[in-house]
Amino acid sequence: MIWQLDLLILVFVIICALAAINIKDLLSAVIILGAYSFLMCLLWAEMGAVDVAFTEASVAAAVSTILFVGAVLKTTRRSKD
Amino acid sequence: MLEFIISKYNFWLYVILMMIGLYAMLAKRNLVKKLIGMNIFQTAIILFYVSIGVKKGSVHVPIIVDSHGHGAQLIHAADYLNPLPHVLMLTAIVVSIATTGVALAVLILIYRRYQTLNEDEIIHIRQARQKAGV
Amino acid sequence: MKTIILAFVILSGGLLIYGTIDMPAWGDPHSPANSYVSPLYIEEALKETETPNIVTAVLADYRGYDTMGETTVIFTAAVACALLLRGWSEGRKERE
Repeated sequence: MIWQLDLLILVFVIICALAAINIKDLLSAVIILGAYSFLMCLLWAEMGAVDVAFTEASVAAAVSTILFVGAVLKTTRRSKD
Repeated sequence: MLEFIISKYNFWLYVILMMIGLYAMLAKRNLVKKLIGMNIFQTAIILFYVSIGVKKGSVHVPIIVDSHGHGAQLIHAADYLNPLPHVLMLTAIVVSIATTGVALAVLILIYRRYQTLNEDEIIHIRQARQKAGV
Repeated sequence: MKTIILAFVILSGGLLIYGTIDMPAWGDPHSPANSYVSPLYIEEALKETETPNIVTAVLADYRGYDTMGETTVIFTAAVACALLLRGWSEGRKERE
């Protein structure tokens, strides 16, 4: 448990969350959500929750991003907000 | 006062993450943006639960080292992290991927019917269709 | 409308931050969550289940029925996705 690393990753996570909900292009927003999931996985590995970290890396960061990208490609990339 | 802030600032950052997710769910008009907000909200709550099990100091991850001669050796609970929040949040992550999958399937259906993902336009088209009697 | 939503979000966030005042400090080894049930699991898991990884022991052994129910949830979600998307493509073929 290194609190400097902890704080740094938390700030990155918050920046990623703000970017994901503010970007107009939906494909970019979805990819940033994938980066958000990987940073969250790093945060959990740093907290000592290794099982949660690799479940997040394989399930949320990989499968969820693939599902989102598939849905965005099947629908539309443009968004008004 | 400084000690109070140092012992609590992590929780405040989690609350900020939850607020970002809640704002995206309520205020954004695009349905994919709402789903992204829901994901952020879920991960913020999971993060809060995982952080409850953290113990400061030199503790191991909850995997018992040197498990061969376990008959004689004594295991001290203070040497290991709390495993129970990890177990429960493992279940929550898997359920969250299930809800996301079903939501994306419904989203594709909505796009095929209305040719848009904007909530206001969907309501508008729906009302116009109801007036026309389709 | 956006100002109302922003005010609601800030109000709920403020209430949550007010709730953290009474919580134990972050990473406290003697907090209630770390001192009542979990020491029993950590000390008895290896003896009772012969699994070095405590998370796996709790997930697959103590809470095995819970994990089985979780599998049902995943199966239901997969079936729901398959039914929704398949129904759409067949309907489209008929229209064309």
